[in-house]
Amino acid sequence: MEGFFSVFTIELFNSGIRLATPILLAALGGALCNKAGVLNLALESKMLLGAFLGIVAAYYLGNTYLGILVAVIAGGLLGWLFAFLYHRYQVDLVILSIALNLIILELTVYMMRVMFGQTGSWSDPSIVRVPDIHIPFIEDIPVLGGLLSGYNFIVYLSWAIALVLYVVLYHTKFGRHIRAVGENQEAAETVGINPRQIQTMALVLSGMLAALGGAFLSVGHLKLFTRNMSNGRGWTAIAAALFGLNHPIGTFFASLFFGFADAFSVRIQNVTDLPPNLVEILPNLATVLVLVLIALRETVTRSMARARTRAQIRATADEKPATT
Amino acid sequence: MALALEMTGITKYFASTDVKANDKVDFAVEAGEVHALVGENGAGKTTLMSILYGLVKPDSGEIKVDGKPVVITRPDDAIRNGIGMVHQHFKLVPSFTVAQSILLGMEPNRAGFLTPNEENRAVAELAERHGLPVDPKARIRDLPVGMQQRVEILKVLERNARILVLDEPTAVLTPQEVAELMRVVRNLSKAGYTVVFITHKLLEVVRVADRVSVMRAGRNAGSKAVAETTVPELARMMVGREVLLKVNKAPRQAGEVVFAADDVSVTDVRGFPAVTRVSFNVRAGEILGIAGVSGNGQTELVEAITGMRALDGGRLVINTKDATTLSVRERRERGLAHIPEDRIHVGLNLDTNLDENLIVSRYRLGQFNRAGFLNRRSMRDFAADVIKRFSVAAAVPGGGISRLSGGNMQKIVIGRELAGEPSFIVANQPTRGLDVGSIEFVHRSLVEARDRGAGILLVSVELEEILALSDRVLVMYRGQIQGEVDPATATEEQIGLLMAGAHPEPASAAGPAA
Repeated sequence: MEGFFSVFTIELFNSGIRLATPILLAALGGALCNKAGVLNLALESKMLLGAFLGIVAAYYLGNTYLGILVAVIAGGLLGWLFAFLYHRYQVDLVILSIALNLIILELTVYMMRVMFGQTGSWSDPSIVRVPDIHIPFIEDIPVLGGLLSGYNFIVYLSWAIALVLYVVLYHTKFGRHIRAVGENQEAAETVGINPRQIQTMALVLSGMLAALGGAFLSVGHLKLFTRNMSNGRGWTAIAAALFGLNHPIGTFFASLFFGFADAFSVRIQNVTDLPPNLVEILPNLATVLVLVLIALRETVTRSMARARTRAQIRATADEKPATT
Repeated sequence: MALALEMTGITKYFASTDVKANDKVDFAVEAGEVHALVGENGAGKTTLMSILYGLVKPDSGEIKVDGKPVVITRPDDAIRNGIGMVHQHFKLVPSFTVAQSILLGMEPNRAGFLTPNEENRAVAELAERHGLPVDPKARIRDLPVGMQQRVEILKVLERNARILVLDEPTAVLTPQEVAELMRVVRNLSKAGYTVVFITHKLLEVVRVADRVSVMRAGRNAGSKAVAETTVPELARMMVGREVLLKVNKAPRQAGEVVFAADDVSVTDVRGFPAVTRVSFNVRAGEILGIAGVSGNGQTELVEAITGMRALDGGRLVINTKDATTLSVRERRERGLAHIPEDRIHVGLNLDTNLDENLIVSRYRLGQFNRAGFLNRRSMRDFAADVIKRFSVAAAVPGGGISRLSGGNMQKIVIGRELAGEPSFIVANQPTRGLDVGSIEFVHRSLVEARDRGAGILLVSVELEEILALSDRVLVMYRGQIQGEVDPATATEEQIGLLMAGAHPEPASAAGPAA
């Protein structure tokens, strides 16, 4: 048991934060899309594309930051293409997402093979990982310093984006228009708000965020690309957005939850004799559990209301009020 | 008097449905008047107004506002020209407050940031100015329908509209809310606003309008001053012939109880109480009407009776046998027929043909069933018979039904349900969205079924329909029977009060059927 509790360390917290970052970025994009009334199930492929282009561009341009920029722009373009196909040709977003997820997965493997002759993973010694930032003063505070300092800029940026997204959605005119479009598109349209514009913006931004999350995987967290590097994080991000009720702050904590579940399963393999296969499914189990909870929420409120009604009916059964 | 609005030669052809919705329509409204636009469903009223509001692009025609020609291609253009529209289905965001809804798209702001206090103040001031009190902080989803409509009207006024178009504004209101709306409309007119009031209820025209235009089959069949016309004349203009506004029926010959609801409680989809401890009987040879504003439990009650929703308490009896837990088919076998509220999705399957639609409730009968295979020939004969008996125009045995008019679709439903001579018929909103001619047909069919000895439960939000057809009337309010009235002696006001939740006067007949 001693071994079990030794899992909970500052390092666990640090790796939880790092593992949460790509999920958080994609989940914020997903939440924004949900708020604007467009279902974005292609976060997975946009993240994978970002991971691939981030490291490839960093290699060719000789600069990690430029690599990330390329990934983000590509993610935005993919989001725009998505919006274009949706609005111009009324393409079904679910089908489009499935197609995109399949294409990007195979395309990145194909490109890796064509460009670098590798099929499983690829890296190059010349590639530099995004450096960690040690915040002066804060890093000297005991415990807290260890918890808050020492991540790279993408991590801090993701926190800032969550905050900014919250302010924009709930405290600006633009944000209110986004919510109006998502909740009743016709209501927005009849007062002159352009739902197309807003949904296009949401899809472009979510593409950029997911791609940034992907680039964090390939050049921010590690410095290599592997086949299917996003490995379901785009789907986890969708779960996180739902779990966070599409609220940026809620999504932030939901993403942390999934990040920590991830980190926990990695750590626990080092300190217990549990079969690694079993431990590795822990984060997936957590995701399933959360999705079940989300699905149950409505059923539970409904059956609770129903039970209350029945109790009320029973309570009044003997004293039917005379209304005349 | 000057014209506020003039539409000339408006033509619109819908290629997808091959309908000329507007055919060289001329329509003029004087400044400051209340102008009623009436016509049957499908006569082209909504198309004409959608063109005015920039939602539909006309093939040809011209629009002038205050004498000046204008081009309107989007709602923005209409708003800029002082035209505001209150749609039949409100365009509101349920989670927003009243203030947020009214100011949507034109929020006061500081560098893009919202200023909630200023919004609430602006809306309170707007409401005060027009004598239409609202609570700026209330959430739309918590407001009654009449209040939501008021929000829509304020929304239009805030955008400086001088011409207000109200599309079927009374369809969802209680009689009291209707009276209040009429007062609001008269006041707006007095304050110099021009109001176009779309409706198909002719009595409302007489109550509220200065002038009236009648649309028929895509054309303007004439415009008149209300003072110089009568309801029968307007009805004749609408359908091109005399219509019976009264239903002729023999006195009731009530027989055995064919259906009984005993202490029935039902919850809605969300699990909230929809029907609470309701009891009543339906006898053979009578029509029992259930009046009430929509959303007071009628839908759930009908679903429970017809077997589409489980009961939470109480029991149902069809023809002296307990039917509380029976399946839909078992109930039908005991004599139930159901004319559902939604004929498009529940009453019919538009993807399949007339024959199949007609036998869905009786395909097990030996007549249509040969060792598990359908007997196409007898299906076809049956369809031909129903078409003849219920004069379903434009339908052919074996043909599709998706392009038939609403009236003909309803005839198919009624033909199917009444063909087997059921002993208990549930008719939920049987004339909703139908033209005057079809309404007449539906009413006659129901009265015939009653005279042959069927018990009928008629649920309708149209008070006139309830009063014209029913032998007894129950009024539902918040899931309970608020009172019973005699349609022969009850006034519309009396029923309206019950519909709004007032308790019946002690003197008035029987109390709630508890």
